[in-house]
Amino acid sequence: MNTTATVERGRRYLNPYLGGVLLGLVLIAANFVAGRGLGASGAIKSVIVTGMEAIAPDASAGSGFVQEFRDSHEGSPMKTWLVFQMLGVIVGGFLSGTMAGRLKLKVEHNPKITSKRRLIFALAGGILFGFGSQLGRGCTSGAALSGMAVLSLGGFITMMAIFGTAFALAYFVRRNWI
Amino acid sequence: MNPRVILAAAIIPLGLIIAAVPQNTTKPYKLTAGQLLEEVNSRTQFLAPELIADMLVSKDPSIRLIDVRPQDEFEKFSLPGAVNIPFSDILSDEWTDILHQDIKMNVFYSNGSVTANEAWMITRQLGYENNYVLEGGLNYWFDNILNPQAPTSTSPSEEFARYDFRKSASMALGGGGVVPADGSSAPAPALPAIIPRVAKKKVAGGC
Amino acid sequence: MGPLAVNEFISENTNLFLAFIIGIGFGWVLESSGFSSSRKLAGVFYGYDTVVLKVFFTAAITAMLGLLFMSLFGWIDLNWVYVNPTFLTSAIVGGVVMGAGFILGGFCPGTSFCAASIGKIDGMVFIIGLFIGVFLFGIGYDIWDELYMAKYLGEPKVSEALGMRDGVFGLLLILAAVGMFFVAEWAEKKFPREEY
Repeated sequence: MNTTATVERGRRYLNPYLGGVLLGLVLIAANFVAGRGLGASGAIKSVIVTGMEAIAPDASAGSGFVQEFRDSHEGSPMKTWLVFQMLGVIVGGFLSGTMAGRLKLKVEHNPKITSKRRLIFALAGGILFGFGSQLGRGCTSGAALSGMAVLSLGGFITMMAIFGTAFALAYFVRRNWI
Repeated sequence: MNPRVILAAAIIPLGLIIAAVPQNTTKPYKLTAGQLLEEVNSRTQFLAPELIADMLVSKDPSIRLIDVRPQDEFEKFSLPGAVNIPFSDILSDEWTDILHQDIKMNVFYSNGSVTANEAWMITRQLGYENNYVLEGGLNYWFDNILNPQAPTSTSPSEEFARYDFRKSASMALGGGGVVPADGSSAPAPALPAIIPRVAKKKVAGGC
Repeated sequence: MGPLAVNEFISENTNLFLAFIIGIGFGWVLESSGFSSSRKLAGVFYGYDTVVLKVFFTAAITAMLGLLFMSLFGWIDLNWVYVNPTFLTSAIVGGVVMGAGFILGGFCPGTSFCAASIGKIDGMVFIIGLFIGVFLFGIGYDIWDELYMAKYLGEPKVSEALGMRDGVFGLLLILAAVGMFFVAEWAEKKFPREEY
């Protein structure tokens, strides 16, 4: 298996407070330019709606989900702010990883468990998160982070629910992480 | 030094400042003072009373009269179909939909034309379009539309045409008893075009 | 006066292009702060790595302060900035489901894209899961759309709900965040940390 590389804090990764300030500046820029904060799950929704309409146009026309999306978007569902932002995220993450020498194809996991177990949990987590992000009208980026920056009540509530639940369930899956 | 302490030392004073300062609730002004001065001097906001009378008589739906006098004066007399927005209330949110729109022509009027012109200046400075002022106000309206003076025999022919128009308009608008001549040979002034307002789209955000 | 796109200083297409640039910034900062590692992300729930808490709250208070100051100077009109709506029921239920997803998967959508972009397979699998989850929501929409639309309270701000000015609440949030940072540093010293 791959060796666990030692990452010295402060040298390989940015100081978290500096990272936080920079992220805050990016968020300010987003609000100043586009009048909205950052996000992520909305881009997934765009892709799914595009897929649904492409594969089953008649069923999609009748779907409440697609209708709700169409109510606020005209034109191509992929031509949204979030989709373009997420494309940038991929590029930005790649650039940062390249500059720091962190590019590596691997499954990152606690050495006490297997890769396979990690991947199963990743898939399960993704499914739950995908579902929850639609209900919560946002994910940690869109609802929690951007919501907090504009003092949105809904954003705060969702953020507390996310972190509260994760803390509550942490004990039960501790084997995966520590 | 400890980054946490630096951050706290920087951000807590900023937080104190932002908590202490009153919130900025100014509405953004869309015209500069220079631009507004130009428009005020051009006097294009004034609409001739004959034009308004013509539209009222023909029941043109694209006009909306706005009475900017206090409510008690409005209740004593008002022009047909007028909405009362007392001048002191003009910036209140309840009137924004009426003042900031691109469907009708709003025409402010008051007793003279001073208050109506002031109302126009305030709304124009906010960037609102399609608002105008009734030239001469109600004073002129009473003297010339509702009770037009007959021109003397030596007046030019336009005077007679105007008089005929005013007589018929006055009949339609409930003016003093004047016998109408032969229908309205009214000079038909050109209507100003309605300027469409580019609506600011509220962005959809979140996810 | 911002926001630029709303006041039409920039066109729709420029806005989309800038979205891409802002996204690059977003992705870069996330990855540089270590958010491309699921172990670091989950660390806050066990105390061994509180990077999530530090970055998240620092970003939130920085952005909040920045926007409030910009509004004070008249550089941005906060009335036109999107405030997330509050649908009470679905906000809570969605948050709970997401919390479960977070602790199981170790990612959230934004960070999973970062992780995938540097080659983390668990990130990519998480993304696949995201698509499945959104799709499941979509096809079953009629079952839960009542829950989804329940208890719409408009777009209130927390400061409005608590009856205080934005700036005052901002100060409280800053104090709470700084307090949490001190707790976080204490936790990291106390809980064991492995090299990864």
